[in-house]
Amino acid sequence: MNTTKINIQDLKLWYGKEQALHGINLAVAEKKITAFIGPSGCGKSTLLRCMNRMNDHISSCRIEGEVTLDNKNIYAPDVDVVQLRTHVGMVFQKPNPFPKSIYENIAYAPSIHGIAKKGVEMDELVETALKKASLWAEVKDKLHQPGTALSGGQQQRLCIARTIAIKPDVILMDEPCSALDPIASAKIEELMDELKSEFTIIIVTHSMQQAARVSDNTAFFYMGNLVEFGETSSLFSQPQQQQTEDYITGRFG
Amino acid sequence: MSKQVSDNMQINKRLRKRYRREKAFKGSAILALTLAAVFLVFFFYNIINQGYSALAQAQILVEVHYNEASQKSYRKAIDKSYRKIVSRGWLRTLPLYMEDHPEVMNTTRHEWVVATADVDQYLKNKPNRLKDKQKRQIDKLQEEGKVQLNFNTNFFTNGDSKMAELAGIKSALVGSIYVLIVTLLVALPIGVMTAVYLEEFAPDNRLTQIIEVNINNLAAIPSILFGLLGLAIFINFFGVPRSSSLVGGLTLALMTLPVIIITTRAALRAVPHTIREAAYGLGASRWQTVWHHTLPLALPGILTGSIIGLAQAMGETAPLLIIGMMAYIPDTPSGFTEVATVLPAQIFTWAGESIRAYEERTAAAILVLLSLLLSMNSLAVWLRKRFETRW
Repeated sequence: MNTTKINIQDLKLWYGKEQALHGINLAVAEKKITAFIGPSGCGKSTLLRCMNRMNDHISSCRIEGEVTLDNKNIYAPDVDVVQLRTHVGMVFQKPNPFPKSIYENIAYAPSIHGIAKKGVEMDELVETALKKASLWAEVKDKLHQPGTALSGGQQQRLCIARTIAIKPDVILMDEPCSALDPIASAKIEELMDELKSEFTIIIVTHSMQQAARVSDNTAFFYMGNLVEFGETSSLFSQPQQQQTEDYITGRFG
Repeated sequence: MSKQVSDNMQINKRLRKRYRREKAFKGSAILALTLAAVFLVFFFYNIINQGYSALAQAQILVEVHYNEASQKSYRKAIDKSYRKIVSRGWLRTLPLYMEDHPEVMNTTRHEWVVATADVDQYLKNKPNRLKDKQKRQIDKLQEEGKVQLNFNTNFFTNGDSKMAELAGIKSALVGSIYVLIVTLLVALPIGVMTAVYLEEFAPDNRLTQIIEVNINNLAAIPSILFGLLGLAIFINFFGVPRSSSLVGGLTLALMTLPVIIITTRAALRAVPHTIREAAYGLGASRWQTVWHHTLPLALPGILTGSIIGLAQAMGETAPLLIIGMMAYIPDTPSGFTEVATVLPAQIFTWAGESIRAYEERTAAAILVLLSLLLSMNSLAVWLRKRFETRW
């Protein structure tokens, strides 16, 4: 039984005069992993950034259409962006922990949103977040050391823990493994599998193997259009569109 | 085969040429550096050589008569033969001293008192206007041990004076500090907030571009024009007291603002964009992102830029000329609205004096100003190091 978490309806997006998305329609299922694949510049990251309104910070960006989260349009004028981002967390391509301690990295967002009080409550929250991101065992003795001193993979898991700490419904991941080695990537993939029982995850990836391994549904984009969307197993074994087949068999992209 | 050999020869030839060029480039760089170092050493040698003698001041051991007569006419406090070689400026202070210290009345005391600037220069083997008779008198006193060079405390405890032997830098130093405080309090917050707005909040449109270009242009405007601006706005329009450290500080703040804005913007721009994204992604507002993340990370750069801007303002003279701070101001200011002068202005005033004793005081004042600027710059370096290693 799939319930729709995020529904995208006829979404068009322009950067200045250039149109980057041409009317996307897509339904993201709750507590599943949805992968966005496609060649560079196809608009998959742009679409991802529409879901927590990160594109608001680009002044030349213009959007038409609707994105609904739990049947509520996130582009409606009464929606508060700050509020929205506590429901839709984001993990970026390059691990970007704050140049602060591991503890502070995780405690920052809960403290600005008033989710937990300083002290025992916050300590517990930090511990839970780190455990969920399977980082606790590695860092429990050095919580007050800088987060930037960790390895790349650990930093990325720290960023995931930081996002989990604000208890979002959806986690957006923008090529989270592209800066990591295969072993660190494998750990992140394992982690995603554990997290999907609690969160709806959308991942943008360049690696088709990764999409095939971790995702339940896959969307293939090309030139700002959604070419094909379906269950990962069927999309990779029996693509309906020629372009999809060409891409996943490595004929272009 | 032969083609390969000729290719290799060609490459070797070019390689030798490249090494030659590299050597020439390195050599000219070293030459430039040496030249700069030589100039610097010469400059410091010259200033220190001229200035160090100002730290000593000739003093004479004389009998001072404290009584009714000398209170009425201070010249009578010492024997007639000493009147030409003891500082008149010191003699003038006696009646007041007696009023404040009645216990010394009707006594005669042996005291080391300040000699005239000419005696001082004579003892230092510098040109002076002593008559032969006085020179013989000094020689005799020196044999008796009644005249000597002591540490010149007056230089640090007095303000300016028309009698060189009493002239000191205190009023200028205090004035400089007052002006610096005003400049800091005005320019730093306004400059940093402007830079934060332009860099983090302002939309990228025609208006912001015009503002940007104009701020950059302001940094290149001759400083004397800021003096005119200060005169027109602060003195004529707002009625800030002329020659006060307040108007000086405000004027220099105008001058320092573009420097602070430009360095702060550069420091903000150097903060990686990923940090801002991370904060936005976690639901921090723009203000929280700036206040919690961007600004702390840019702080070392902001501090360095601001301190260097302030040091520049501290050495500035031209704008102060116009707002009346380049004047004979012997009194040490005790508030922001009182008339004041600053170190560079004091240096300029002394440099124009014809009396020889001012020459060494000019050099000594330059030394004081230089050491102040050097310590400010070291503070900038220290702050940068400290805040950089914090995380």
